[in-house]
Amino acid sequence: MMNEYDVIIIGGGITGVGTARDCALRGLRTVLVERFDLTNGATGRNHGLLHSGARYAVTDRDSASECIKENRILKRIASNCVERTDGLFITLPEDDPAYQDKLVEACRAAGIKAESIDPAEALRLEPSVNPRLVGAVRVPDASVDPFRLSSANALDAAAHGARILTYHSVTSFIKDGSRVVGVRVKDTRTGEEKEILAAMTVNAAGIWGQGIAAMAGARIRMLPSKGSLLVFGHRVNRMVVNRCRKPANADILVPGDVVCIIGTTSDKVPFEECDDIRVTRQEVTALLDEGCSLVPALANTRILRAYAGVRPLVASDDDPTGRRTSRGIVLLDHESRDGISGFVTITGGKLTNYRLMAQMATDLVCRKLNVDKPCLTAGLPLPGSERRLNPSRADAVAFKAAEGRHGTMVKDMDFSHKSEVLCECEHVTKAEIAYAVKYLDVHNMVDLRRRTRIGMGTCQGTFCIRKVAEALAEELGCPQKAEEFLDQYVRERWKGMAPVCWGDSLREAEYMRKLYRK
Amino acid sequence: MRFDVVIIGGGPAGTGIGLELQRSGLDCLVVSEGLGLEESPRREFVEAGGTLLQGDTVLGGTISEGKVTGVATRNLKGTPIEASCYVLATGRFFSKGLISTMDGIFEPVFGCDVLYDRDSTNWTNPDFYAPQPFEDFGVVTDDQGRVSIGGRTISNLFAAGEVLAGKIGMQTGIERVVNAVLGRK
Repeated sequence: MMNEYDVIIIGGGITGVGTARDCALRGLRTVLVERFDLTNGATGRNHGLLHSGARYAVTDRDSASECIKENRILKRIASNCVERTDGLFITLPEDDPAYQDKLVEACRAAGIKAESIDPAEALRLEPSVNPRLVGAVRVPDASVDPFRLSSANALDAAAHGARILTYHSVTSFIKDGSRVVGVRVKDTRTGEEKEILAAMTVNAAGIWGQGIAAMAGARIRMLPSKGSLLVFGHRVNRMVVNRCRKPANADILVPGDVVCIIGTTSDKVPFEECDDIRVTRQEVTALLDEGCSLVPALANTRILRAYAGVRPLVASDDDPTGRRTSRGIVLLDHESRDGISGFVTITGGKLTNYRLMAQMATDLVCRKLNVDKPCLTAGLPLPGSERRLNPSRADAVAFKAAEGRHGTMVKDMDFSHKSEVLCECEHVTKAEIAYAVKYLDVHNMVDLRRRTRIGMGTCQGTFCIRKVAEALAEELGCPQKAEEFLDQYVRERWKGMAPVCWGDSLREAEYMRKLYRK
Repeated sequence: MRFDVVIIGGGPAGTGIGLELQRSGLDCLVVSEGLGLEESPRREFVEAGGTLLQGDTVLGGTISEGKVTGVATRNLKGTPIEASCYVLATGRFFSKGLISTMDGIFEPVFGCDVLYDRDSTNWTNPDFYAPQPFEDFGVVTDDQGRVSIGGRTISNLFAAGEVLAGKIGMQTGIERVVNAVLGRK
């Protein structure tokens, strides 16, 4: 019997969708299974920083060189998902003054353009930066939207024949002796179970990859490292602002669309907590304290929400901070490593390097399948990024906003009907919701938020979410679900608000309760 | 400027009390920060003969021997406003009747004693739809609705509406203050 697929990819994070795209472009019959929505794990819970590599230049030269190469590639192939902000590394009087020269030198050695500038010039480029700074280095950091980037990869994979099965969880592996020949999956919405067979299976499940590997009979020790972040109510900075010192907690402020994000903390967490991680008050305090030394205005800026992700680091030692663990890409051939054929794991790495990770995994899959096809992902623009658009911001009119989010895919939106703006912060129209439902695999409010940025702006959905819930329910053809959608959104938002509930955030919380409590 | 009663806050509690007292023959002033969702109670209050300072803010008051002796507003800074009784009806956090920081909660006009959980991580319930602890925080009052400052009851300063601690309902709070003010007269 012939298999329906050549390769199964487990995990709908950026690594999984990137691998699905690469496999599909090389002509492999590809299926991706994800138990929740795309980007549900670490991919959707980070800074949205496209590293230049400068952060790793001093401590990890290899990672730094990888980053700058991928940074340049993504600026080209994902121009619609990347905002070319550039970044600053600022030195404050309390920081080691020698580190700046060390950084510049290490950057040059890694191929990263890094230039020392004086404090006055830094303040001119980035007026929000702490005026106490004594030095700064300018680097090609950028801001990237991981939701759009994942969506674009999934779209292109599907356009080349891949199937993307979200809300499908792997329940067990199908093995023939020591060979993995497929997986059993369960549709988490209908409960339906089915078997998928393929010659190769790729484990791209991030931190949950340890459990997936164990299910296949292989042992990987991952070190769950929680990183917490805070989103602020407006965009305070225009460049990425880093602290010029050895990487530490809360030393990067990234502008993204209409907001900015400070992060991260780094704490080892038990495995059981990975499915439901919450931000503690201690973490919020640490993020605020450090954030204010980068950009003092943060002290008086409303915090929209707190969130946290778990880095999929592969344990190399027992460093309790998880920071000295290698952040390198880990590709495991379980045939040579564990005697389990038909199964590989791609993990470690970082958002910036996802394309390279996907390429490495796909190269290995192709070798195993005796397929000799070159990787095309470094040269082919992602959907939406086929041509350079005039940079547009979310404060432009609705069409420009949609174009900013979806690039050339905006052609599939029907602005002649449904041009009503529902989310005013992000200028999201009914037309964009209809587009997301039709093309981007949206089943609920959280899916929709990730695809369109609905409710991610200053009001966090407080004013629009009832209209949005109704519009989504209507587009999905189940108007009776509007109430459930509203509930789901409100609960998800509360999770992010509760840890930062004081000052203006508490005012907003009280207002939200008045509007939505039952 | 002198009134019988100065009411700080033009929401449901402030206008409710203002209207009843004005109709009972007292000369009332309501200071209202901004526009409300519901304009008709304020209109009714003015039609009953009350004085409304719209778009003004009470910055603070003077207190002497356990009594409020006057308040000052932003727009009428040079003109002290005096009354026999004062009512605090400034609402909760959204309307800035209470101000919260990461470390604590205070009442900004007079510095009234406020009841709240000292551990700010307990201010919310993880379930959005459950009652929220912060909704019970507010100024402490005695059975006549009088507030205290530093543990000492202020004999002519009353509070009503959402600024109150605990679960005293809107109507109960209004009636309590109306009765106490009329009783004093």
